[in-house]
Amino acid sequence: MGKYFTRERVGYMFGVLTRPLHSFYEIRHRDQGSVPLAALCVFLLSAAFTLNRIFAGFIVNDVNPRTVDGLEEMGAIFLILGLFCVGNWSVTCLMDGEGRLRDIVTVTGYAMLPAALLLGPATLLSLVIAEGETAFYAIVMGAGIAWTVILLLTGVMTVHNYTLLKTLVTLGLTFVAMLILVFIGLLILDLINQAYVFLYSIYTELIFRI
Amino acid sequence: MPLKRVCAALLLTAALIAGAAPAAGAGLVPYDTYNYDYWDFIVFTPAAYVPGRSVSGVDLGIGAFQNFQGMCVADDGAVYIADTGNNRIVILEPDLLSVRDVVDSFSWPDGSADGFARPHGVAAADGLMYVADTDNRRVVVLDGRAAVRVIRNPSSELLDANFDFVPLKVAVDYAGRVFVIARNMFQGIMTFDADDNFIGFYGTINVKITLWQRFWRVFSTKEERARQQLFIPTEFTGLDVDPWGFVYASNMDSEGVQAVRRLNPSGEDVIRTGENQNLGGDIELFAASASVYSGPSKIIDVAYRGQGIYSLLDSQRGRIFTYDHEGNLLYIFGGMGHQAGTFRQPTAIGAQENRILALDAFRNEIITFEETRYGALINQAVALRYGGDEALAVEAWREVLLLNENLELANAGIGKAYLTAGDNRTAMRYLKLGMDKSHYAIAFKRYRNEVLKENIGWMLTLLLAAVVAYAGWRSYRRRKRGRAPAGGLL
Repeated sequence: MGKYFTRERVGYMFGVLTRPLHSFYEIRHRDQGSVPLAALCVFLLSAAFTLNRIFAGFIVNDVNPRTVDGLEEMGAIFLILGLFCVGNWSVTCLMDGEGRLRDIVTVTGYAMLPAALLLGPATLLSLVIAEGETAFYAIVMGAGIAWTVILLLTGVMTVHNYTLLKTLVTLGLTFVAMLILVFIGLLILDLINQAYVFLYSIYTELIFRI
Repeated sequence: MPLKRVCAALLLTAALIAGAAPAAGAGLVPYDTYNYDYWDFIVFTPAAYVPGRSVSGVDLGIGAFQNFQGMCVADDGAVYIADTGNNRIVILEPDLLSVRDVVDSFSWPDGSADGFARPHGVAAADGLMYVADTDNRRVVVLDGRAAVRVIRNPSSELLDANFDFVPLKVAVDYAGRVFVIARNMFQGIMTFDADDNFIGFYGTINVKITLWQRFWRVFSTKEERARQQLFIPTEFTGLDVDPWGFVYASNMDSEGVQAVRRLNPSGEDVIRTGENQNLGGDIELFAASASVYSGPSKIIDVAYRGQGIYSLLDSQRGRIFTYDHEGNLLYIFGGMGHQAGTFRQPTAIGAQENRILALDAFRNEIITFEETRYGALINQAVALRYGGDEALAVEAWREVLLLNENLELANAGIGKAYLTAGDNRTAMRYLKLGMDKSHYAIAFKRYRNEVLKENIGWMLTLLLAAVVAYAGWRSYRRRKRGRAPAGGLL
């Protein structure tokens, strides 16, 4: 377990924030990435997201606290990012991408770090701002999200050794792939459900006749 | 041992029954009383109005009412009822116990007698009575039993040459302008001046065509378009006029967003909407199946009740919705059913001092609703605020909160008073409970400045001390490093 959390690996995780191209290159080619650390980043993001929805200041917060479910939101974030990774992997496999699934997962997770780190301060800031100052809150939130998007873009670009244009095209295709994955997933679930209902009706029929 | 258990079970049952007893009090009225909170969730409230009496024509000794459609309460509290099926107008004393007059015939200035044919609407002002004499296609103005004016066959370039004038509802403002809702007249309320001339349409409701409908119209042929449903605005359903000549007009809104308009003398809608931008009665409209409990409210009449308060009557679910001048939903009561105090087929609503009247054309009874303490306190608080007396309103809001802690309007009202009084911290607490974000922001800003002002001294001192300490530490390090430059790793 210790090898996933070495000082060097953690260093590269934070290095992503300041020197993304270099760090992503090291992650891909010198094996400095860590999937558990990536999962930790996503966990931080989901925790910060839920805390923001519950505790952000009354003036900026338009979320009904009764509708917030932390576990559900964490599941949704992990599901969407997992879908993104698998979708990206399946597209880039066909488009000469050099990244392995492990690299894609690592890069996606690390890219969530700025959003996760800025959501907390933004939440604290929202507790001391009044109306007319909500722009500051929006700037902090926007900066975190923009930074995350840029990191995701450069990360995908670096691990696959793509040009920027090709990355953008791939990301578009990734979105389509995600939709297809969801569609197939629903299809399978429905199929399983129908099979279950079929078997269960045979069972009830038998029970009634015996 | 078994005896002990039996005793315990009995005690438990007794406790449960005792615990359940107060809850049964909520079922004293035969309908749901509720309101919507900031998130459009239903919050049940105490009853603002409870059923009073059911007054039938037989009780009054004038024979049963038949399918009555219109009602109006005069300034002195007398109730005018358009008894449609009996072709007469019934005037009741304010207490609804005795009949002041039954008008079933009147005389023209030349002395000839005449009667009504299925009158649907009636209005009373300045001692005159305005009757929408529907099947005779005219509006008759009576002084006692003498006709003084009549509006018939309006002609104008705005109207078709063969326009059939079928008046349903009528209202009149202080200047003698007559407002008429006519059948199949989608262009708006017809207005007539004091000399019975048609002036024009008033308060036209614009047709709403969705992008999707427009999209399909582009692709449909002329034949298809001819057979499609016409895009026509909804008709107005009910009228009332406030003392300043503003007309409250209800309509059926298929989207459940705005079912009432407040029209200024030039016909513009100047109604105010509350926090949720809704004036359509019920908000959550989507039940699992198409029952009476799904779909928007069908508002068929409106009554202006003074102090900016008005009530709407819903014929879909028999509910009465009451709003204040700011468009806040104050309380909801009423329902369909077979018990006393519920409706089968509500048709019109009117308001007396502290009583709401509604007509039920299936039972042919006037159903009255009496104000409870809860309703009276809300009415009082809203009236005080309407008059600009927020400080006095707070006392009423406080008492409302004792009866219903969940009323956001009351919390916000108290919060605003504290804000005016300068107690920002308490104001923040109440405004947050009242979900009033804009006023909360003001209170918060002032409170923050107060806290800063009180604490700025030691905060700045601390900051200064930190800066001095940091500078000292740096110079100490530098001196130390200067003494032993070779050993410095950091």
